[in-house]
Amino acid sequence: MKLPGLRLYALVYLLFLYAPIFLLPIFAFNDGTIIAFPLKGFTTSWFGQMFGNDTLARAVRNSMIIAVSSAVLATTLGIFAARAGSRFSFPGKGGIMGLIMLPLVLPEIIVAVSLLVVLLGMGMTLSVFTVILGHVLICTPYAIAILNTAFSSLDRSLEEAAVDLGETKWSTFRLITLPLVMPGIISSLLISFTISLDEFIIAFFLAGNEPTLPTYIFSQLRFPKQIPMIMALGTCLVLLSIVLLTIAEYFRRRGIARSGGKDTGGFL
Amino acid sequence: MDWKSRLRRVTRTEAFSGYALVSPTALYAILMLAAPLATILAFSFFKDGYLVVVREFTLQNYIDTWSDEIFRAILMRSLIVSGLVTLVTVLLAFPIAYYVSFHVEASKKSRWLFLITIPFWTSYLIRVFLWKVILGYNGVVNSALLGVGIIDTPFQMLNNVPAIAITLAHAYAPFAILPIFVSLEKIDRALLEAGQDLGESKMMTFLRVTLPLAMPGVVAAVLIVFIPTIGDYVTPELIGGGKLPMVANMIQAQMLPLDNKPLGSAIAVSAMVVVALISFGFVFMNRRFLRGQK
Amino acid sequence: MTVQSADRPSMIEFQDVHKYYGDYHALRGITASIRAGEFFSLLGPSGCGKTTLLRTIAGFEGISSGAVMIDGKHMEHVPANQRPTNMVFQSYAIFPHLSVEQNVGFGLRRDPRSEADKAKAVAEALEMVGLKGYGARAAHALSGGQRQRVALARALILKPKVLLLDEPLSALDKKMREQMQVELIKLQRQVGITFVLVTHDQEEALVMSDRIAVMFEGEIAQLADPETLYRRPNSRRVADFIGVMNFLPATILGEANGQIQVEAAGLGRVEIETNQAPGAISEGEASVGFRPETLTILYEGQTASDRETAGTIDEVVYYGDMTYYDVRLDGVDKPVRISMRNVFGRPVLDIGTRTRVAWSAGALVLFR
Repeated sequence: MKLPGLRLYALVYLLFLYAPIFLLPIFAFNDGTIIAFPLKGFTTSWFGQMFGNDTLARAVRNSMIIAVSSAVLATTLGIFAARAGSRFSFPGKGGIMGLIMLPLVLPEIIVAVSLLVVLLGMGMTLSVFTVILGHVLICTPYAIAILNTAFSSLDRSLEEAAVDLGETKWSTFRLITLPLVMPGIISSLLISFTISLDEFIIAFFLAGNEPTLPTYIFSQLRFPKQIPMIMALGTCLVLLSIVLLTIAEYFRRRGIARSGGKDTGGFL
Repeated sequence: MDWKSRLRRVTRTEAFSGYALVSPTALYAILMLAAPLATILAFSFFKDGYLVVVREFTLQNYIDTWSDEIFRAILMRSLIVSGLVTLVTVLLAFPIAYYVSFHVEASKKSRWLFLITIPFWTSYLIRVFLWKVILGYNGVVNSALLGVGIIDTPFQMLNNVPAIAITLAHAYAPFAILPIFVSLEKIDRALLEAGQDLGESKMMTFLRVTLPLAMPGVVAAVLIVFIPTIGDYVTPELIGGGKLPMVANMIQAQMLPLDNKPLGSAIAVSAMVVVALISFGFVFMNRRFLRGQK
Repeated sequence: MTVQSADRPSMIEFQDVHKYYGDYHALRGITASIRAGEFFSLLGPSGCGKTTLLRTIAGFEGISSGAVMIDGKHMEHVPANQRPTNMVFQSYAIFPHLSVEQNVGFGLRRDPRSEADKAKAVAEALEMVGLKGYGARAAHALSGGQRQRVALARALILKPKVLLLDEPLSALDKKMREQMQVELIKLQRQVGITFVLVTHDQEEALVMSDRIAVMFEGEIAQLADPETLYRRPNSRRVADFIGVMNFLPATILGEANGQIQVEAAGLGRVEIETNQAPGAISEGEASVGFRPETLTILYEGQTASDRETAGTIDEVVYYGDMTYYDVRLDGVDKPVRISMRNVFGRPVLDIGTRTRVAWSAGALVLFR
């Protein structure tokens, strides 16, 4: 059964999804200050402008610190929860897991506002650290979703076999479990990193005076003069995201193939 | 007293191991999510003093919120925009999910899903801004139409609800496609053959077998698009030009520039309650599709 | 095969073992003894507790009450990694990220021997299971039968006192399964280790075991050697589970001199020895059971060596080497199944044929 109409629709839909991303490099290399057609000519000067910008440099540094810390912490918390969720049953499991996964559906503004109120109430100064607290919260559900696949495709008797052959709980985890879920862990680190790097609302509320990449971009979008440079920056970010995602996808698939499971789909 | 062996008996149970493992993550969620949400709820019943919050019970914030015409208008607009976005997103997404699930070879499915999810992971702010470029006064669409000679003067396509809807439909596309795809994948293909074997046409088989079985995914897609879009801040700000604020923009204004945290909290809680009621209502309406599903 | 094992010392003792999962009573007072060096099978339908019982030996399941002893030692406080048992898992549990060698040598990590000695032990173990030269292969590149052998080598290299096998052949196809059955028996004789096998396949249990415990609903229904189980099952349930058994309603008339007098439908009045009534029934309504091969259809000119009755052929199922006849004995509604070896030159009979059937009182078993 072939439906040529449906296939055409799918291709048009993909074009719709990718249209903004295709435009990005076009304007990043366009030698004109106004983001509109017709194009003016080729230039790489917008990329050059990026490197001389001190605020941008600070934003990049902050975002890297935030994204790396959030990725590591969220993945660590994700390992605990995914292991507990895929291996043990205990009363109230649904409720506890529900709370942990809640940020997946909760509007980010609610997370941001409520954290802001509490952190200020505790007398904390808004900084890179407070953004990390928020980002760990929203990255953890994604980490769990990825790690759940890794942990539940792990045959339980592999760990039992290691214990049966004389290993302790911990050496079994180190020798068997960890190597087998490692692709999932790498995939989770990369995805969490990407989410954190891109997150705007929580950073907007919780960063205080510290710029992060998205808040910096947001602040510059008001100034038409800055926009070509932002296009160049965006091009770099999109490239980085695609590279990270491709690596993450590679490890996710390898993990499934390794533990002999069946590939059932994407990240979510 | 043999407390040692009793302790060992308790710590050996499955439930104990589960609690012990999940506790770091659960604790974090309680401290950083449940407690802050509870605080917002509490704040919404407090009085606002100058620069401080007065811990005194009052319903005034809710009275102020709901008697404020601007709030009601903004909430209404948010609901309409979110509803519209949800409708558009899910309607556009269903054929894609259907295509990938039923018409793409098994080996290529995950490649398609990867292709669909990539745009979602790239900078949200820049994607939204680019829609401004596409739809702008001398943007891509207008200059193309002008160039071909279909129109003489550019369309005003920004700063209106459809522009916000298109941008958000784009942003939340994978959220709608994936749950529908998952529920379509679960359908036993033999059921469809059985449907046709029992004399139904392809169209009727789709309506009587495929669609009802895909409904859990559609319901999930609706919720997962509707709830977060209500709280979207960036799109109304950039695409709506700040002239069409939604609830998130109002909460932000109360929380930061105006610094009236109790009122901001009351607005946030009110919006959440409305969203929750609509979501529960929606799930309830579709309960016959969800029965027996997990 | 079974004679010498009777006087061997006990290797595993179950003493009134109970296991609860919440309210579910999975093991209901198991008391049994497995002898050193025997090939022992736990046989039963899925959910009967056989795997749970095996896992209490390995130490993967704790028990709620009672005791498990291995080689005279109480196992309550001995964790799984310190028990003198090794297991071959149903899924084989071959570590997919390690090579065949690394899998087989996995348990030697804490062994004080030199690396060279360990490598030699691994090579020997691989040779023993017929995988010589496979050491460097990646584990995930192996076939089902090869994984099975790696799992065996990995467990046996540690020279355990007991080897536990959890449905080890269920994932293999029929041919491969039969081949592995023979290899396992040979291997067990060669190493002399106590094997405990869990299976739901009665044929597999009969072929391989010295003794079999048949389990239903968390209890051992009968523990005996294969022949006793087949010839004298102690309940209709065990009889039904192992092979095919025909049942005919019967009335007990009386008991005298170790003989029970019975009036059986379709067979008439017959005397059955009391040891052919393992369920210990001696009065009232009962049923007699017999295996399909204990009846013989008589052809023209043949005479019965013991007794004969008559009936009509109701159904014929041809199996190549065998033919199964469903015969409606005169005076009985439900047909009985009779299996006949096909002999060259002797025709397969048609449905509806009147036929005489020979039988012998010694083959009958009396059930409640």
